[in-house]
Amino acid sequence: MLIVLAVFAVLIISDFLRFIRNKEPAKVFVIYTCLMATSLSISLLLAAGRRPSSPAQWIEAVFKMIGVLE
Amino acid sequence: MGKVRISSIQLFLLLSGFLFGSTVILAPAKGAKNDAWLAILIGGACGVLLMGVYAAIALLNPSKTLVDILEEKLGKVAGTIVAILYVWYFIHLASLVFRDFGEFICSVTFPEMPMVVVIGLFAAVLLYAVNSGIEVVGRLSELLVPLIPVIMLIISLSLFTVHDFTAFLPILENGITPVLKTALSFITFPFGETVAFLMLFPHLNQKEKLKNVVLISAIVSTLMQVLIFFRDISVLGSGLMDRATFIPHLTSLIIPEFNIEPLVDINLLIGGGIKISVCLYAASRALCQIAGINDYRNLTGAISTFCVVLSIWVHESVLDLFSWTEKVWSYYSLPFQVFVPLLLLLLSLKKSKPSNAGTANEK
Repeated sequence: MLIVLAVFAVLIISDFLRFIRNKEPAKVFVIYTCLMATSLSISLLLAAGRRPSSPAQWIEAVFKMIGVLE
Repeated sequence: MGKVRISSIQLFLLLSGFLFGSTVILAPAKGAKNDAWLAILIGGACGVLLMGVYAAIALLNPSKTLVDILEEKLGKVAGTIVAILYVWYFIHLASLVFRDFGEFICSVTFPEMPMVVVIGLFAAVLLYAVNSGIEVVGRLSELLVPLIPVIMLIISLSLFTVHDFTAFLPILENGITPVLKTALSFITFPFGETVAFLMLFPHLNQKEKLKNVVLISAIVSTLMQVLIFFRDISVLGSGLMDRATFIPHLTSLIIPEFNIEPLVDINLLIGGGIKISVCLYAASRALCQIAGINDYRNLTGAISTFCVVLSIWVHESVLDLFSWTEKVWSYYSLPFQVFVPLLLLLLSLKKSKPSNAGTANEK
């Protein structure tokens, strides 16, 4: 868990410093934060042994619902 | 970004590397057993046509990426929604290749290594390559992709003494249905996945060569797959080939006297690396275009991190990965690889016809 937090902290701080130095627009910060927040929360859940249902399962469920798969 | 240019030979090698991708460790036509060569030929012929469709879309919309074409043909709102789905598709594809790579390395080469470390280190190298620009990835492919056929040749020649050239007989023992089903999955993996190149085609410096480059790379890839199938089945036999997970790796283990197993790892590093780089570039560039961000490099780090996490999250085990890919992948890919590109081609042809008629009238 601590390793995950440390890796994400290093990645986010280094990228944010670069964005501030290059005066990137706010939308860069917003999209970057959304992607990294999603990645961090899933990583923490995986590290804690609580694997959430995955996109592959959602896709399979959708195909079963519309009758493409049995 | 507009000044970035890749040559036709670089595009040919990028396409070839992409088509080899994970197929250097997995046999995509395995489902047809002895008749896999027929499935590869049928799937390859359809794959050539499909890649021809992508090339035609690019030629009818010169200097436009997939996002530009979608927004122009489907309208701003619908085009943006479909473009966001394509971003997801490219990210998902990259994460699946990461997982294939991780599973192979962790079950064959470094069994004690945690998979997230293997995938994370590979992602860091690829992120550096993608951030250096697509022309750098193109030059890298010039240097590395020619090694793939050389390595295949070394493995095939080393096995020359252990061949059984009748192992693929009898032909059509189980009927034509498994062959056609496997041919469909062979179209979606790997040919249909080249839809990601619609984000790269505008960078080609000689547009007139696009169609030839695309067709030649598809034909070369199909022929290589057929040769690999005949090599593997004549060495392993159909029974062992049906039970094996990483078929080319198992074939390389049979070579008497010396061990050239790491050559298969090198092939995967090259093919998988190029496939993931192209997907990462396509996803980052498409997302930046949708959001109106100038430099795609701003989001490559976040997208790569998400791909690594997704690759671990998406499937619980290697068996789950293979069963999902076999059952769902073809149907899931069809809208992205066939339906939307065909719709774009029809709309591009429809819009180009009145303008042609208009110019004829002016004359």
